[in-house]
Amino acid sequence: MKIDPITFEVLKHRLWQINDEQAIAIKTISASPIVVEGNDFNVGIFTSDGRLVTSGFGSTVHVGTMGTAIQGIMLNAGAIRQGDIWLTNDPFLGALHQNDVVVASPLYLEDELVLWTANVLHHPDVGGIDEGSFCINARNLYQEPPRYLMKIVDQGEWSPGAERTFVTNSRLPDSVSLDLRAQVASINVAQIRLIELIQEVGWPTIQTVMEESISVAEAQLRDRLRTIPDGVFTGTAYMDGDRVGSERVSKVTVTLTKTGDNLHFDYTGSDPQVDAAVNCTEAACWAGTAVPIYSFIYGGEIDWNDSLRNCVSMTSPPGTVVNASFPAPVSISTVGFRWLVTVAACQAVAKMLAASPEFRDRACMSWNVSSHCINLFAEVVGKRVGALLSDHRAGGAAARPFADGLSFAGNVTSFSSSMGNIEDTEWKLPVVYLFRRQLADSGGAGRWRGGLTAESALMPYEVDSIIYKVTNTAGTDQTNALGLWGGYPGAGSQTTVVRNSSVYEHINRGGIPMDMSDWGGELVSLPSKADGILKRGDILHFYPPGGGGWGDPLDREEILVAEDVKGGRVSHSMAAKLYGVNLDSTGKPDPEKTLHMRETARRERGTASEATWPLNDRYHTLTGTEDSVSISVGAYGEVTNSGLLSCARCGTAWFGNESARIILASGPLSLAGPWRAVRWGGNSQRFSLFMVSCPGCHTLIHVEERLTAEVGHGQTHTEKFN
Amino acid sequence: MSRVGVDIGGTFTDVVWMDSSGDIHFDKAFSTPNFLYKGVMEGVGYLVERGRNPQEWLKEIDRFAHGTTASTNALIERKGAKVGLVTTRGFEDTLIIGRATVARTGGLPLHQAMDFIYTEPPTPLVPRELVRGVNERVTADGRVLVAPDPSDVKTLLTQLLEMGIESLAVVLLWSFRNSAHEQLVRDIAKELSPTLHVSLSSVIAPHIGEFERMVTTVANAYVAPISRQYLDRLGTSLSSTGFRKTLHVMTATGGTILPADVENMAVSLINSGPVGGLIAARHLGESLGWNNLITVDMGGTSFDVGVIANGRFEIEESPFLAHGLPSKLPAVKIVTIGAGGGSIAWTDGHRLYVGPESAGSEPGPACYGRGGTQPTVTDALVVMGILHPQRFFSGRCELDSVAALSAIDKFVAAPLGLDVHEAADGIYKVVTSKMADLIRKASVEQGNDPRNFRLCAYGGAAGAHAALLMEQLGIPAVIIPYAASVFSALGISLSDILYSASKSFPLTVAPTDSFSSSVKEAFEDLTSQVQLNIADSGIELSNFVFAYELDVRYKGQINSVRVNWNRPSLAVEEIPQLRLAFHNLYERRFGKGSTHENAGLELIGFRLYALSPQPKPGLQHVDFPSELLKTESRQVFSREHGWMPARVISFDSLPAEQALLGPAIIERRDTTVWTPAGFSAMRDTFGNIILSRQGAQYED
Repeated sequence: MKIDPITFEVLKHRLWQINDEQAIAIKTISASPIVVEGNDFNVGIFTSDGRLVTSGFGSTVHVGTMGTAIQGIMLNAGAIRQGDIWLTNDPFLGALHQNDVVVASPLYLEDELVLWTANVLHHPDVGGIDEGSFCINARNLYQEPPRYLMKIVDQGEWSPGAERTFVTNSRLPDSVSLDLRAQVASINVAQIRLIELIQEVGWPTIQTVMEESISVAEAQLRDRLRTIPDGVFTGTAYMDGDRVGSERVSKVTVTLTKTGDNLHFDYTGSDPQVDAAVNCTEAACWAGTAVPIYSFIYGGEIDWNDSLRNCVSMTSPPGTVVNASFPAPVSISTVGFRWLVTVAACQAVAKMLAASPEFRDRACMSWNVSSHCINLFAEVVGKRVGALLSDHRAGGAAARPFADGLSFAGNVTSFSSSMGNIEDTEWKLPVVYLFRRQLADSGGAGRWRGGLTAESALMPYEVDSIIYKVTNTAGTDQTNALGLWGGYPGAGSQTTVVRNSSVYEHINRGGIPMDMSDWGGELVSLPSKADGILKRGDILHFYPPGGGGWGDPLDREEILVAEDVKGGRVSHSMAAKLYGVNLDSTGKPDPEKTLHMRETARRERGTASEATWPLNDRYHTLTGTEDSVSISVGAYGEVTNSGLLSCARCGTAWFGNESARIILASGPLSLAGPWRAVRWGGNSQRFSLFMVSCPGCHTLIHVEERLTAEVGHGQTHTEKFN
Repeated sequence: MSRVGVDIGGTFTDVVWMDSSGDIHFDKAFSTPNFLYKGVMEGVGYLVERGRNPQEWLKEIDRFAHGTTASTNALIERKGAKVGLVTTRGFEDTLIIGRATVARTGGLPLHQAMDFIYTEPPTPLVPRELVRGVNERVTADGRVLVAPDPSDVKTLLTQLLEMGIESLAVVLLWSFRNSAHEQLVRDIAKELSPTLHVSLSSVIAPHIGEFERMVTTVANAYVAPISRQYLDRLGTSLSSTGFRKTLHVMTATGGTILPADVENMAVSLINSGPVGGLIAARHLGESLGWNNLITVDMGGTSFDVGVIANGRFEIEESPFLAHGLPSKLPAVKIVTIGAGGGSIAWTDGHRLYVGPESAGSEPGPACYGRGGTQPTVTDALVVMGILHPQRFFSGRCELDSVAALSAIDKFVAAPLGLDVHEAADGIYKVVTSKMADLIRKASVEQGNDPRNFRLCAYGGAAGAHAALLMEQLGIPAVIIPYAASVFSALGISLSDILYSASKSFPLTVAPTDSFSSSVKEAFEDLTSQVQLNIADSGIELSNFVFAYELDVRYKGQINSVRVNWNRPSLAVEEIPQLRLAFHNLYERRFGKGSTHENAGLELIGFRLYALSPQPKPGLQHVDFPSELLKTESRQVFSREHGWMPARVISFDSLPAEQALLGPAIIERRDTTVWTPAGFSAMRDTFGNIILSRQGAQYED
């Protein structure tokens, strides 16, 4: 059946609207801030074989998983009937991790299954060894939350046994019970409306619209991809610390090959799976890979659906952290290696876009690169209360090629994942916040500065103890918050416990102490996965990461640096150290001194040793360009068709012929500013800052964090930090 | 009773005078953005009865109600007061952190919000250097953890005053539980500078959630001085011209207040104008016996939808004042998308898009001949024959149909391989289906089925799309009101005086005396607040009707449901009644099986309304001919029927109470009403046009 573009547009929008009603129902009924504020859910309409046609605008990471879960249900469920609603949270059937519960239901016309509707939602606790179900203490799958495949509604009737099984395994039964109701109610809403629509215009028309929704979006995506120069682009993200008591370093590494209107992501080189819950399954790896493509290439203009699967392929070797084999533990997946898959994929996609004149503005290297999740649980008057804090959504995003990075940016998976109000948290949990404020110097330095993060501190209030569970994705040795083209990394992420602080002495004297230096007590910087108990008088201090910079910070306009200092975004000392800007006592830049400082800084760069181009990114697979013609690859570099990469400023060749050279320097992470590798006083034993500059004009062209003293695989630290 | 309503819009200031017999007179003057009251006075001048002295005429006006954009403009253009902000120490960055994405993507149209990389936060209302933290802390239970030192407060206020602040906002954590510290700051501020405007969050928006409370309070401090000044000027102009009563000012809450109230309610003036349209629609509905109405206001650039269910407005709890500025001041819910006559149609070679870009009025649609080259919805209507090039806007602006045709051909039809007329109809259908989908969303969000509603359509583009909307939504009838072109101004003139007070704090529903007394206390608090307003207004307390509402949710839930509660108390034995009312509403919204017998309930909000109803006249008949005077015919294109002749009738030639069968076009001075085949149009004796499906019975 052929359909005209007008009918197509009208009906496609109607499908979108129906699906949105599904989302409205979930958001209104859900009891969970993770859903309502965090936007950690999504809804979709699928073909009969589980291909996504229409996605909601919830989390982009869920766009890629619901269909896989439907296919998992079809393979394993046995008989499927009209009016059945299935539930699965099994990561080996397509869920991201056990908290993400997929609810799906088929729609039959007479005896034919014609489509599926589904939604997925992050439940705040589904059992397992650790509160909140991010099982930082698990070493195998069987210590994790149960994995379900259940018929929750059987031909229109609630299955009370299934519901009870699901609810009773949770530490927060009231909350998950409401969320499950929300998921089922929303399925019903969508199905009623879909049946009306099918009755109105007929199934063949709707079927055609569904198929064309995918093929039209595919054509639009291919149009965009064709305008981007071909090439090979890499990304790497590290995790130091994968469970309580293990400081092992593992990495995910990706090589993106862009050819014509196709993308291929190859995760070969990523580390073997670990005996910790941070692994992700292949389905989660796919979902994580899709994120930057939906967020930065599809945006609001192309419909998020399985058109992506037709243009993008993936290799992810089994047995690795990005394709863990059963029965690997995976309950932290979504803020474990799934998150880092997205971080690495974002880097590769950003480099690809930076080389595209048309889409360069969308090159964003990092966006809240470490989900710094903190679950708190306590007993209040005999009742268990618990929640995931929302402060981790304050992380910054990387600078953009045309402007500073977005501060307090939420997540790259959702444009509307927000933080909760302090008052709402203090109502729900027995805590008092000391502050929540922007963290100066947390944005990576650059010609455009990375986005800032916020730091918070809280203490138990009116209870003797609170259990904390920290799941800080990336780690504490390094930041992962990379910039591009000479931009420095942003702040790392860190939780610190202050034991036996003097906070109550201050309060008794009439003030809440605002600086760590006034807190007294014993400061314990926690590793990335940690748990413990906060007692009265203890303080928990934490911040998610900042965003990386874009371009050489010595190129930043002085006035912008001065404004940053005035606004508390950059400290006076970092203005001098990183940006080479001298500010007088009134905060005004001194042009002469600044010029001198910047010249000195550049000269110093020239004293480091020369080396060959150390990166694996290749911009040389251009098609249709004359060899004599060079294209800009991100404002600082230019590349010709034969692969000669050289400086856009001074013409010095960096890569591609015999004489090509760069200057390579390295040093501690603290060279990028405070808040990096804080647990090691800024000098991580395992990671160093690598800085690449142009031998001709000494412009800084690349900064990254590299593993220097690799802790061998399988080797773990056993010392406890809490 | 003789009344005047005035609504300031971007281009026009609309004025309505309803004389003592209830006859409606209306006109438009150009708005005067820099001196808004001048446009108002000019418009009022147009209303003066022919041959009468303006002073004498104004003396006889009993009520002058006004919807102003002064506050909205000050906010949007960032031309408000220089505000200092005092907050709890440690939380000075609350505005710029903005709950992460809320301050950045909140309030943006979806397509912009989804374009991750381009979402910039708007300019903050208070620069960081004018924010001061005070060393104090109240906890969730309202107890004082740290009391402020008055001399510290004095020092930081002195600093702010030295920096030249014109207005002060005070927003301390948990102040809605215990406002003593905010009051202390205000008292010291008033000592230091008796004339300084001070907005306290515990007064402006006593609700849980510090970010939204801060936005609301800061916005109030930001627009209060300028709003006050504007209303003073207008009041002076009016009284020097003879007006003897007090000016009434429209709020977004759905009623009017007095200029004296503006100090603490300035923020409620923001986005108040469109609410007038809903008030007029409700009045019209009451007169015709229609309780369920969806209002749509269709203009050149935006499409606004409101819902009136069972005669009540839907309320939005946290409406955005503007991009990135969510408030905690409940407002009548109006949802909007950028779709209208000026929406630009385009294609990427794969799909036909209409909007979100708009040609606006400058350069305007291609057919305006003012330099616009891209095809718009108006161009499509011209190509289809629905709009007559010579009769648009009462013939005051001739349209270029050739330009319309070639724009659609070049940018839409040719690239998609469509016939130009088919493409025009496609543009029309795509934009109308977007409008229909928004209406559906607005209704289902509140648990309403649009099929149980009638549509009240106003604004210049209303007539062209109304029938198609009706069809797509299964709505039985559309009314295009007589005073559609000044509908908001009409509503403003009809609005009641409304004081509302609300506060929010979570309160677990429990069969205990302390629960009951907490509810009682909350309502007593609100009552005394509102009684202060009433005392200041000079209106007898006995003229007010009181109404109460509770926001109820399952414990731990974020969203709540509004439950009408007919008394300011809740005894222990009434809890089952509350539970039942909550469950009924909840099921209506989310369907059977969505409720949860065992989950605990929590009250989150308490609301009190004091309404002083203003007398409302019945609808008045408008002259009409006894028989159809004159008809012509023109060809109208649709994809279903191809070219078909349609009867064309001017509104003034149309007799009342006679069904006009489609295809037909009624040309009224403010809008062109398209009645496709299968529909019928009728003009009632009040001058409204009612569209329905042929052969159907739609009377109640």
